[in-house]
Amino acid sequence: MTTEPTLPIPISYIAGNYYLFSIDAVTYLRREHHICGVLIGTLPQIPQQNVFLGLPLELMPEEARLLVEKGVACIVDEVKVQNQGMKALMEEDRKKYLRELESQGLQAMRLQASRKEQQREKTLKKLEEKKAKAAKSKKSSEDPEQAPAVADAPKDDPLVDLFADSQPSSHSQTTSRRTSTTVAPENAMGITPATARPPLPAEPSSEQLLPMPQVPSSYPLFAHLHAEGYFLSPGLRFGCQYLAYPGDPLRFHSHFLVVSAEWDEELDLMDIIAGGRLGTGVKKGFMIGGAEKKDNTADEESVRTFSIEWAGM
Amino acid sequence: MADTDEAAIHLPSHDSAAHIDTDLSDETQDFRMLSNLSFLADTSQATLPKRGEKDFEPNPTLYQADILDASRQAMHNALAHPRLHNPKNQIIGIYAPDGPAPPRSVATPKTLDTIAENDTPAQTAEAEESQSKKPAGTGTNVHPDSCVYVTNPKGQFFKNMGRADRWGRIWLLPEEALYMLERGSLDVRWPRSATGCEDDGETEDSGIPMSLQAAYACFIGHGGLMVDRFSVYSGLRRLGYTLIRAPGWYDEAEEEFEDPESTKRQGPGLAGIYGRFMDWLHSSTTTAVGPVAGLGIHRNYNDIYRKLSIIPFYDPTAPLPQNPQTKPPFRVVFHVYKPSTPFRKSAPPAPDFRVAVVNARTHTTVPTLAQLGTLLESTPLDPPKGEKMERNLYMRLRHGYRNVVLAVVDQGVVSYLRVADAAFGKEKLYNRPAPSGNKRGANPRNPRPKPKGR
Repeated sequence: MTTEPTLPIPISYIAGNYYLFSIDAVTYLRREHHICGVLIGTLPQIPQQNVFLGLPLELMPEEARLLVEKGVACIVDEVKVQNQGMKALMEEDRKKYLRELESQGLQAMRLQASRKEQQREKTLKKLEEKKAKAAKSKKSSEDPEQAPAVADAPKDDPLVDLFADSQPSSHSQTTSRRTSTTVAPENAMGITPATARPPLPAEPSSEQLLPMPQVPSSYPLFAHLHAEGYFLSPGLRFGCQYLAYPGDPLRFHSHFLVVSAEWDEELDLMDIIAGGRLGTGVKKGFMIGGAEKKDNTADEESVRTFSIEWAGM
Repeated sequence: MADTDEAAIHLPSHDSAAHIDTDLSDETQDFRMLSNLSFLADTSQATLPKRGEKDFEPNPTLYQADILDASRQAMHNALAHPRLHNPKNQIIGIYAPDGPAPPRSVATPKTLDTIAENDTPAQTAEAEESQSKKPAGTGTNVHPDSCVYVTNPKGQFFKNMGRADRWGRIWLLPEEALYMLERGSLDVRWPRSATGCEDDGETEDSGIPMSLQAAYACFIGHGGLMVDRFSVYSGLRRLGYTLIRAPGWYDEAEEEFEDPESTKRQGPGLAGIYGRFMDWLHSSTTTAVGPVAGLGIHRNYNDIYRKLSIIPFYDPTAPLPQNPQTKPPFRVVFHVYKPSTPFRKSAPPAPDFRVAVVNARTHTTVPTLAQLGTLLESTPLDPPKGEKMERNLYMRLRHGYRNVVLAVVDQGVVSYLRVADAAFGKEKLYNRPAPSGNKRGANPRNPRPKPKGR
């Protein structure tokens, strides 16, 4: 959790969209800059579902722009980086990288083997306990103390922090204990890394950098709400532009359906009624906002927002 | 009447909605729920967690901060999970940035042939040459957009993915390769030709695994695969559907046109003949003068209603004048099969659903009637069939005569809309038996209501 990525974080630009592939960057931006994005990848642990998704994280152009303006991130032409980077990869780098991967793969294999071993032992133990219990119950009445031992048995630590150096929990102990379970190098687990750095250089060269993302006209409203501490996400599911959350969407429901409008734009009354009713129906407020046009351009752009609720009288 | 409508609107907003449509994927879920699963121990027992409790708004309590930290840590752990390949069942694919090509051992300069359809004239001649050498060749089988080949295809995925060439290699389309890599089922390797490594000439495999990042960079944008389409592809794949590219995938492609089924005409029967005679008798009078229902004797109400229906209506079963010209994005790009549909990749059956993918950012308006119309006309006739449909008018209307699924994608969030061609004009209400006019009969969930006394 304490891992801080080096700034600026490179945001991958691929075929018109913006992505993040590094988990540290994703966690960091979420925690420090309230940027959530949308996870669009399959989670390899449980691949046949759509509730929990994994990397990559797709960023809205607004989010990418905001991060670039803050100086936290830069936009990188990922296709260029990959092609140039791989071409520049020399035999030595390749060997070094492959060695690294192999050692990680071996570690993973050992972990899994030891976990299997542990599990086997646990099951054996359980069986024995059961036998003993059965024998005991034959002798005397049942022993209630046995129950909790069974309940907390199959809790097993996920393999997740294999590559993060942050969590030296039970894994290292178990592996060190089980050095006897040696794994031949050809049995190393194959690994598909999430990011391409390494083997590619961490710093993108200047010719691979791209200018600021193009953003829709709703950007001032987006930036304004973000500055006010809201977490924003795409609003398609509720028929609006953005959903505004008061805190991290992991823990809070959204409060507003946000639609941006131009300052002089004529709004259809029906849209306001429809939005107001929809918002009230899903227990959210319907918010319209936009940048106020001022005569003196020197003044900072101020954004005004209006919340609409269907009174239902 | 108005009151009951209002009540119906009020009702679901309170608690019943929570039971009816708790689509977990609708909102960001608390990843702490995920870490409760013991999926790593036994993937077969992985069940979906219940919706996590959320708070209304942040407060400065340490308690809340702790929960949030735990949630974020769980999310971090879940996302940091590596994609591992056990050597026992590791499937290795090799990235071929230039499309399908024969293996190196074969592709010596003399027999440089290509197995794809994108032959240049020079290559075709050579391909023919090698074809004569190897008569068992299945050269044109491989899709020209394929960019990853698998030399050791095993496992269930290749039942409905990829195409084999004549060297026993399975070629994967970019979406197939990316989907499999993403779920940790495929280890894609960089080819030696794309890296700056020494080329020993024996094999293309450089041994460098392609990262998820590199895979997105290489596959998205390749062969018409935009990320909207991939979001739809992987989302439906994850749910168990089988997807293949439809002919409308390519913007310039002429859409194949499926002839609507020839409607079978049944013998009219005696009553039918009588009815037709009566039709003729009544239709022969003009409505230019006099009452619309016409003069003369009316034996029953149906005749009068028939007379009154002077407004022409759209009949979806009528044959189409010409082949519809759909324009992207409103054209079918995916054929989707339910998991229960028997699927053979060599001869795909008629799809269960046809999906068009629309980007909500670039197309902010509802499609025009012309766009929707041509889109629907490009799908074959699928009239409502079955006993339930026969019985229930509203199910017939909802099913429609043609249908298509619009997948609207907003930055990775996908919504699916089913658009159907309902034929109100074909449902003659006056032909229906009288007592089914009560209100409960209108509920499609309750096709056989008990007659209510009035």
